[in-house]
Amino acid sequence: MPRIDIDAPGTSVLLLGNEAIARGALEAGVAFASSYPGNPSSEILETIVTVATERNIHAEWSVNEKVALEAAAGASFAGIRAMASMKQNGLNVASDFVSNLVMTGVGKGLVLVVCDDPGSLSSSSELDTRNLCKWMDIPLLEPSNSQEAKDMTKWAFDLSEELGTICMVHSVSRISHTRTNVKLGELPKTENKAYFTDIYDINKPGRGKFTTIAGPAELHNQLHQKLARALDKFESSPFNQYTGPDKAELLVITSGACVAYSAEAIAELKLENKVGVLKLGTTWPLPEKFVEKQLARSQKVLFVEEVDPFIERSVMELAANLPADSPHLTFYGKRSGHIRQYADLNPDLAANAIANIMGITYCPRDVHYDEEATELAKASPLRSLELCPGCPHRGTFWAIKEALRLDGRDGFAIGDVGCYSLGGFRSGYYQCRISNVMGSGAGISNGMGNLRQFGFDQPVIAVCGDSTFYHASVPALISAVYNKANFILMILDNSATAMTGFQPHPGTGKNAMGEITNIVDMETLCRSLGAHVDVCDSFDIKNTIATLLRLMAEGDGSKVVVMRHECELLRARREKKRPYQVHVDPDKCIGEACGCDRLCTREFGCPGLIWDKEAGKSKIDESVCSGCGLCVDVCPQGAIIKEAV
Amino acid sequence: MKVRGSKELLEEIIGSGLCVYCGACSGGCPYLAPYKGRVVLLHNCALSQGQCYQYCPQTYTDMDELSQQIFGVPYGQDEIGVARETLLARSTNAEIREKGQDGGVVTTILSLALDEGLIDCAVTSRMSVDKTPAGFLARNQEELLKCSTTSYEASPVLEAYNRIPKQSTEKLGVVGLPCQVRALAKMKAYPPENRVNVNNIKLVVGIFCGWALLPAEFHQFLTENYDLSQVVKFDIPHHPEHTFDVYTKSGKKSIEINEVRKFINPACSYCPDMVAEFADISVGSGRHKYKGWNTVIVRTKTGAELMELAKAKAALECQPLPDENLINLKQAALRKKKRALANIVAKTGSKKNLLYLGVSPALVNKLLT
Amino acid sequence: MRTLSKDPLNLIIAGVGGQGNVVMSLLIGNALVRQGYCVGVGDTFGASQRGGSVASHIRISDHTHYSSLIPSGHADIIVSLEPVEALRILGQFGNPDVVTITNVRPVYPPAVVSGLATYPDIDELLKAIKKLSARLETVNATDEAIKLGNPIFTNVIMMGALIGSGLLPLDKKSLEPILQEYFPKVFDMNMIAFNKGMELIGKG
Repeated sequence: MPRIDIDAPGTSVLLLGNEAIARGALEAGVAFASSYPGNPSSEILETIVTVATERNIHAEWSVNEKVALEAAAGASFAGIRAMASMKQNGLNVASDFVSNLVMTGVGKGLVLVVCDDPGSLSSSSELDTRNLCKWMDIPLLEPSNSQEAKDMTKWAFDLSEELGTICMVHSVSRISHTRTNVKLGELPKTENKAYFTDIYDINKPGRGKFTTIAGPAELHNQLHQKLARALDKFESSPFNQYTGPDKAELLVITSGACVAYSAEAIAELKLENKVGVLKLGTTWPLPEKFVEKQLARSQKVLFVEEVDPFIERSVMELAANLPADSPHLTFYGKRSGHIRQYADLNPDLAANAIANIMGITYCPRDVHYDEEATELAKASPLRSLELCPGCPHRGTFWAIKEALRLDGRDGFAIGDVGCYSLGGFRSGYYQCRISNVMGSGAGISNGMGNLRQFGFDQPVIAVCGDSTFYHASVPALISAVYNKANFILMILDNSATAMTGFQPHPGTGKNAMGEITNIVDMETLCRSLGAHVDVCDSFDIKNTIATLLRLMAEGDGSKVVVMRHECELLRARREKKRPYQVHVDPDKCIGEACGCDRLCTREFGCPGLIWDKEAGKSKIDESVCSGCGLCVDVCPQGAIIKEAV
Repeated sequence: MKVRGSKELLEEIIGSGLCVYCGACSGGCPYLAPYKGRVVLLHNCALSQGQCYQYCPQTYTDMDELSQQIFGVPYGQDEIGVARETLLARSTNAEIREKGQDGGVVTTILSLALDEGLIDCAVTSRMSVDKTPAGFLARNQEELLKCSTTSYEASPVLEAYNRIPKQSTEKLGVVGLPCQVRALAKMKAYPPENRVNVNNIKLVVGIFCGWALLPAEFHQFLTENYDLSQVVKFDIPHHPEHTFDVYTKSGKKSIEINEVRKFINPACSYCPDMVAEFADISVGSGRHKYKGWNTVIVRTKTGAELMELAKAKAALECQPLPDENLINLKQAALRKKKRALANIVAKTGSKKNLLYLGVSPALVNKLLT
Repeated sequence: MRTLSKDPLNLIIAGVGGQGNVVMSLLIGNALVRQGYCVGVGDTFGASQRGGSVASHIRISDHTHYSSLIPSGHADIIVSLEPVEALRILGQFGNPDVVTITNVRPVYPPAVVSGLATYPDIDELLKAIKKLSARLETVNATDEAIKLGNPIFTNVIMMGALIGSGLLPLDKKSLEPILQEYFPKVFDMNMIAFNKGMELIGKG
């Protein structure tokens, strides 16, 4: 696979938006990169890791995004260009530090890359993090393709140093995970020396530059001045461009992924001569003079942007202050209902909005075909998210289900973010009844563990992943022990941050670079906090049930159960073969008869098992089965056979 | 009878306070499991008809049909059911007697049946260290002795029977309370599928029963008051005594019987069978001056042959059951039948709806007067 | 550089999460960039990889950078690793001129297996796909992959079929160096699978 650090300025390569961001950082001479896995941002750090050794870059998976940004800030304060990358939720975790960082300013260039997930393709919430820039006064750049992702990231380091403050590059799934042509730039050959200059000077004692207690108001004022300087630069930035007729019947103002959708929509509708596109790349602070000039091109303005009306509102604020004799502007966008205020957008939605305003109909394809295709396609069954064949969480949730049923006190599980979020879906038997953010399962259940005085006696099982545990659950466990909460935390240790791409974490013994490192042992940590710890194998359903029943019956105390079994996809990658060859013995399988009622395909639901309706027997789908053999223990008739390979 | 499925079993029986926790519905499939006094539905079974419903002793049972099948006579002709012979007996083995509840007859005849190869395995109830009873498969006298004495709690023995692998050819002797014996009779009448062959059961031993205690609640009560690991035996001496005795390694403690009656399973109040009428041999405790003996009712040819063998091998010491005892036994059995019928009719509000009991209207009227 | 039959040429690679869409689109995208085209490849990453429906949109143009998402009804070529996904994609992106190449082996969603949903009869399904396509090529890729030793070769076989169809301005020579660069250790096996795909579409 071609390296991201190829020294071939001017060549065109196909890069993911995230790869391009990494390349941009390399071209800017980044030497410290930190992150926490989060879709759609994970590939940024992973790309940098591939060249980190050769380019003398420190690249790490921090335990969470707050620490990641703090670590990057440390490098910046000590004179090293640094970048922290994360998804939308990660920004929330880091935001307390961000609010201080904007007060203190930075040392060398510090860039914050945030990748949103409009449409929540892989997120537990939908957020438009651009708003944080307005809230906390951060210069904001929105790339519209991989080329800009590279160029803007590179520029962001210079900008950060010139302004003396953190800058944000805002990406979305469709930019981060889309591959487009990128013309490469030059890679610098710099030597980086780290030294923190602002130490105590005995001759001139005074406060450190990077402290904020008692005095942020004045720093806030200074920050606004920095932003005024950013505004100057943005007014003439090549990232803001108008394309279209001098005078347009409709002016589309757009940014990010929507730039391409808008352009394509106008081409589809053949309105290139009537509709112009104002593409904005520097969206906070809004380059007001530049925008004002473009507003003069049309009396109708349509804002095409995803999720929040961020640019829409900024421009409306601007428009409110236009001279009284300016032509009246009609705005279309989220406020008018032309563009939805949730989920991701696409060329069709942009085309529908433009067509509506221009008074024409958008007909993407032949009407008869459209009717027929829509009708026939109804036969396609929907696919829900499923735990992979061989996933240890399947065994865990099956055990949780049975244990809670046996206990009989209306117990339930609480999950949060990761592959095990599927514990709230059919694949995980709908066991997780509450699910929010990283580590919230432990937090919520520790609260419920102190409701005894209100007659609460339902067993509550918090479920978190191994990476999540280090990321956010530890404080909740400390709080539980300290506040004497009745608390069971199951840590699903599959040796990976699996949902985001199998990144390592503090329990795996390997770091982002693949080097062997200290293991932060989960059991020891929990015991040292005062929790009682059991360790079970997710594939040993019987033992897991017995353990859970015992812990639930015991009553009070803070208890941890480590469910240890490697993620199947990790194992398969490494071992390249299945542990077992699994098949169903049709003579032993009793199918839908009393005594089974096809438990495996009707309830257990591993995708590797299918039901042969004609034969009335279950079967293994060999193109899907991972050969893990878990179903063997579930079959009540012993009809599923596993043979070691 | 219309056989229904697990959903109806849960609604009509388990959820309606009629479950006697016999285990007949469990062990043969992954859906139902007995646990701490409740029958739990672990996953949803979508079948509209199931063996769980079919063999539950609390779903419709045609008592005449069962009686005809086993004995060739209609149900209800005698208060204590078909009785070829009634007698008092006790084991001649001192260890069995010492460890037994009364006379050790059940352990003796099972042990004999195992020795003689009449059965390969006895399905009975055994208490764990903390005195929780559950089904157990005993294959020799040593294991049988571990099953001696009763907890007076309902024990889901039939779940252990249902779990026996379906290809097993072991000959079985099953010990059960009257409700469990009834369930077995239903299984023999309508042989189960995808389970161990019901014809493997060569011997059914029934235990006399007035009522059984709710396992979870009574167990909770015991744990609060006693160190159960020190308990050796429980016993309820006969009327006019009114205690529940707990024998520990250091002595005996007595609880007022009314304290214990609070834990009687309400479902038992609808049961007319005190003496396990569908068994081969039914065994209860001797009364008063026959403390340390068992009252035995021999019902079938199988039962009679085994009793003869026991006498011939001098495994049992026997004596005739005195008339007075027989009269008392019949009166007690009749009282239970009448009480049951009255409770059933009070619950349903109609003589026509007898819940699970399929008996002739003539018998109903007789018992209700 | 070969000329495109249409500009932009819109290709959708559809399948079920885990079948290897993303790898396929990566290889084809790279091969096209090496040939000098403007390429946009949009994938569904993340959670959908766990058994959900996934699709990669590939835009190919001589001169313009198009958005990664293909507008409704504008697919020119649909390649599907799973038959029901082909129908699903046709439902939204098909048009009377679309060419469809699909694997015929169903991947049953557990909802279907458990009885909560139905999977259409395979013959009816292929009939519907044919009805909605100007041309349909069916490929028994999974079975062939299993014959080669591992169902994981399904996507490489389908890639061979796509290249063999001549619909893209690519040939075997354009893919070989990409396969060598990205998966050097299994190059030989991949080429066997690739050639099989080309053969199955009638050009091997």
